[in-house]
Amino acid sequence: MDKLLKDKKAIVIFVAPAFLLFTFILFIPICQSVYYSFCEYNALTKPVFIGVENYRQLFTTDRTMKMAIKNSLFFLVFSVVTQLIAGLILAALLTNIKKGRNFFKNVYYLPCVLSSAALGLLWMFVFTPKLGINQILAEFGIEGPLWLMDTKGFIILPMWVIAFVSLWQYVGQSMMLYMAQISGISTSLYEASYIDGCTKPQAFRYITLPLIRPMMATAMSLNAIGSLKFFDLIFNMTEGGPNHMTEVLATHLYQQGFKYFKYGYASAIGVVLLIICLLVTFFINKFVKVDNYEM
Amino acid sequence: MSKSSKKKNKSSIVVKTLIYILLSILAVIYLLPLIWVIYVSLKDDKTLFVSPWSMPERLMIENYTFAWSAGKLGIATLNSAIVCVVTLLLCLVLGSMAAFAIGRMKWKLANATMTYFLTGMMIPVHCVLIPLFTRFSKMGLTNSRLGLILPYLTLSLPLTIFIMSGFFKGLPNELFESACIDGCSIYRIFTHIAFPLSKTGLFVTGLMTFVANWNELLLAMVFISDDTKKTLPVSLSKFVGPYNTNYSQMFAAIVIAIIPTIIVYCCFSNSIVDGLTQGAVKG
Repeated sequence: MDKLLKDKKAIVIFVAPAFLLFTFILFIPICQSVYYSFCEYNALTKPVFIGVENYRQLFTTDRTMKMAIKNSLFFLVFSVVTQLIAGLILAALLTNIKKGRNFFKNVYYLPCVLSSAALGLLWMFVFTPKLGINQILAEFGIEGPLWLMDTKGFIILPMWVIAFVSLWQYVGQSMMLYMAQISGISTSLYEASYIDGCTKPQAFRYITLPLIRPMMATAMSLNAIGSLKFFDLIFNMTEGGPNHMTEVLATHLYQQGFKYFKYGYASAIGVVLLIICLLVTFFINKFVKVDNYEM
Repeated sequence: MSKSSKKKNKSSIVVKTLIYILLSILAVIYLLPLIWVIYVSLKDDKTLFVSPWSMPERLMIENYTFAWSAGKLGIATLNSAIVCVVTLLLCLVLGSMAAFAIGRMKWKLANATMTYFLTGMMIPVHCVLIPLFTRFSKMGLTNSRLGLILPYLTLSLPLTIFIMSGFFKGLPNELFESACIDGCSIYRIFTHIAFPLSKTGLFVTGLMTFVANWNELLLAMVFISDDTKKTLPVSLSKFVGPYNTNYSQMFAAIVIAIIPTIIVYCCFSNSIVDGLTQGAVKG
């Protein structure tokens, strides 16, 4: 038996295809990307090493980059916080009802499986000046704002709109994660607490919340990474406009790399994105402490 | 029944109704945009602005036929299907092979290899976009389906390997021992015992892979510029835009793009939701 499981040849045959693919298509390109970020490189020339010039430009002269970082961080904070709260509330409400639980669950989860490109276009139409929401508002005699073109304020209105749309689309995911964890909690814990005179909100606070903490860390890092990778919705709702005000890191990278063909510069943005991703995962896993309780 | 418990009962009914009202409002917010898009896609463009709330006088099916042909959605759907199915099959086979070796077989570097694969889950695809694009265009892989399948496959592998190795670890040892005594080779153990026994795992990972790749926009948009090779999200994004002014046709295109997913979802929603959640819990 052991001999069979230690068969070196078989192990190589089993692992090699995945390993080679992974190395050539993910790992080597990442190293290349880091190298390109220190190069002057566009579609026509060969990469020429120029040191940290790209990064210097990125952080000093590039105003769109400032906007992109601000917007990306806004998204990150917004989606982690709102998904946590809304996801938990929905999960708590749904575990408390019996009739129609599956129906509601499936409805809320539906947008998660739909293409965010198509949903982005759909919401773009909902918020266009003449259609959708503004048509409804006009029925009541209110002139609706320019949802996706307003540029006032520190965080401009289009960013809030997009942030809420992304919450709409992905909250089902967090909700399901929490529900899965809550349904794993033994009912005897709750029964015991009710006998001791505990109310339902108290039970939620002192039993449910501590027991689903490990899942909170998982869901939060999923949300954080997802929000940093965010591309489809913004690209289809505003394309980074008006005047680059809704640009995030991913769309900025796309514009620089594949509209202006500044490969070196875009690689630098990619590296910044990668570093933020790694930092955020690290901090969430460190600070949302995972205590494993006996269930 | 005592007075206090009657009171408690009453208040719990009130709370329940409140919960249901809240949930129903939310459900309306979720379904309304989808219903609206279907509704507008059946109207014609003029009445859309004049009388937005009236029922369509007759169903404008030609919106759909126009969007289907002008948006090149037929070929796009076919491309998406080919790319996603091939990726799915390759991913399940290659992924579970690696997962079997990592989860079940005994070698020193198993854990290190696993960590290597898992780092892939934290890496955003944007970082590899440029090197991958330049290399693929040198190799002539841009504008081909293979050029999409390779990166999709690679990006789906980490999760597949992670979930499947968990599954293989959970299979009872006795199975493998008895197969071994009967003189089964390691390859036959994998193909005839481990693989068929982890159907649940294959279903879960397959579902996640398929949904993610079916909806992927960025890579497809960068790699494919040839109209006959574009996938569904790309063709849709190109067809529907602020410069096209025929709204109802654009809405028809959106409906065409999302309706297959909605139908499949409605038929198997429970197993889909549970499957995807299981996958995410483990990931």
